[in-house]
Amino acid sequence: MSTDKAVNGQPKYINPYLGGVLLGLLILATVFVTGRGIGASGAIKSAVVTTSNTVAPSATQSNAYMGKFVSDDHSPMYTWLVFESLGVLLGGLLSGLIFGRVGKFRTDNGPQITSKKRWILAIIGGALFGLGSQFGRGCTSGAALSGTATFALGGVIVMFGIFGTGYIIAYFFRKLWI
Amino acid sequence: MNRNYIFLTILMLVLAGGTLFLSMNDEPDQIDPKVLLEEMIQPTRYVSTDQVAKMLIQGDPSLMLIDVRSEDDYSYYTLPGAVNIPLDSLLVNGNLSYLGMPGTKVVFVSNDDIKADQMWVLTKRLGYNSTYVLKGGINCWMQTIIEPQRPSDDAPAVDFETYTFRKGAQMYFTGAGSGESEATKVDVEVRRREKSNVAAGGC
Amino acid sequence: MGPLIPNGIIGEGWDFVIAILIGIAFGFILEASGFSSSRNLAGVFYGYNFVVLRVFFTALIVAMVGLMYFDYFGWLDLSKIFILPTYLGPMIVGGIIMGFGFIIGGYCPGTSFTGIAIGKLDALFFTVGLYLGIMGFSLAFPLFEGFYNSGSMGNITLTELTGIPAPYFAMAFTVVALAAFWGTMFIEKRVRKNMKQYKF
Repeated sequence: MSTDKAVNGQPKYINPYLGGVLLGLLILATVFVTGRGIGASGAIKSAVVTTSNTVAPSATQSNAYMGKFVSDDHSPMYTWLVFESLGVLLGGLLSGLIFGRVGKFRTDNGPQITSKKRWILAIIGGALFGLGSQFGRGCTSGAALSGTATFALGGVIVMFGIFGTGYIIAYFFRKLWI
Repeated sequence: MNRNYIFLTILMLVLAGGTLFLSMNDEPDQIDPKVLLEEMIQPTRYVSTDQVAKMLIQGDPSLMLIDVRSEDDYSYYTLPGAVNIPLDSLLVNGNLSYLGMPGTKVVFVSNDDIKADQMWVLTKRLGYNSTYVLKGGINCWMQTIIEPQRPSDDAPAVDFETYTFRKGAQMYFTGAGSGESEATKVDVEVRRREKSNVAAGGC
Repeated sequence: MGPLIPNGIIGEGWDFVIAILIGIAFGFILEASGFSSSRNLAGVFYGYNFVVLRVFFTALIVAMVGLMYFDYFGWLDLSKIFILPTYLGPMIVGGIIMGFGFIIGGYCPGTSFTGIAIGKLDALFFTVGLYLGIMGFSLAFPLFEGFYNSGSMGNITLTELTGIPAPYFAMAFTVVALAAFWGTMFIEKRVRKNMKQYKF
């Protein structure tokens, strides 16, 4: 089924609480150095603005939303979150190499659905997440985690929004996962 | 494994609980620079000599006058009922206990506005509210209350009202005696949010 | 002292170097904790794997409590850090939409990047979806521009909203999180007993 190397049937993941403490300390360090938390969805937004600006510059600049992120002196890709997300890719690769999880292309899917169906659902889910992250001013890492850690009201709202909805609708989507 | 988790749980609870006690003996709350600036550029901290005179005549118990000049100046002349706290001795001898009493308005008095203003900023930084500055200080007090100038004949009616009040107040403060009936004729409301009071003419 | 960059202790030029380093650490922690697998992530909603809850809430309470101590020791000026602005209506709606996205797509943006890094195709498709979603939002922006900007409450914190000092919130979150850790440990054991086919 899976190409992940496993020890006694369990994959080699670090203890979740250790991961949590490290992540918490990372947020602390990030706030200490940069004055703001971590994020992820902002990088995709930069990518959207960049491609749109390359394909149709005038339409992009006149777009009320994307126009805000276009500037003359540098590419929209030249932002903090893009570099950070690049780092996330590298860090994920590094961890995957160390723990032996980097492999050929494969798909995680629940036992009751096919890989192809999983891909379509992933695209739909991603599109929803992308849409929601614009309304929520950030995703799980940017708004829910970093926001709540700095006691921002918005972070708490997004956190309860994501996880609350997840638990309410989980039953209806159980065939996807179990 | 479970024992470690119990230990970690207790550790986290102690760390989180510790913040409750740490923050309690935190520094005294300083006023946000932005708020301070906003309050400084607004003239709401000023009270006019007329307002103070009115409150003194009425015997308003919520008024607390603090003379921030030196002891010599204070013993030479001061406003009735004023307490002497020179600017440089604000923090000694429990002088701060005069401030921050609920329901009292503290008004700082100096020869002009300057020292009183400095005192006001210091007390604001210390986090005290309801402190005010006597606009124009003792000099203005002299000009407006002790020796009021009669307005020219073509001046608006409010100036004459102010003048009548000041005349009354002059008699009250210089001991002429019969001023009280006149003083009550003019109703000068003490409104601290008002930028320019009706009776604020003069300095 | 801190935050270092807004206070000019570290120059602006280091900004992007630091961004990459922070990203590497973030990606490493996510992948090493098992966030690169959508089945691990979705498990939190079905009770067979609470790794998301454990990592997320441990990070949250560590960061919250840590911030309090940083503030107390004067290392960090809390008035200078970025507080996420609150838009009440859009954030509730956004959170709900993201909840659907999470269940259907199985990832969130940060974790999908680490999924791609180790060769997960569903993570790649999720990222494509993210791109399409944000593109769609941008193109259709005039339609909901009014709603997008509605309900603005400014950069408000829980303390400013309720008047309760921040340490009490840190304490409350800590107690709830720790209770959840213990509770889910038993739930997970129970659910996994009935689930033979689950492999990571």
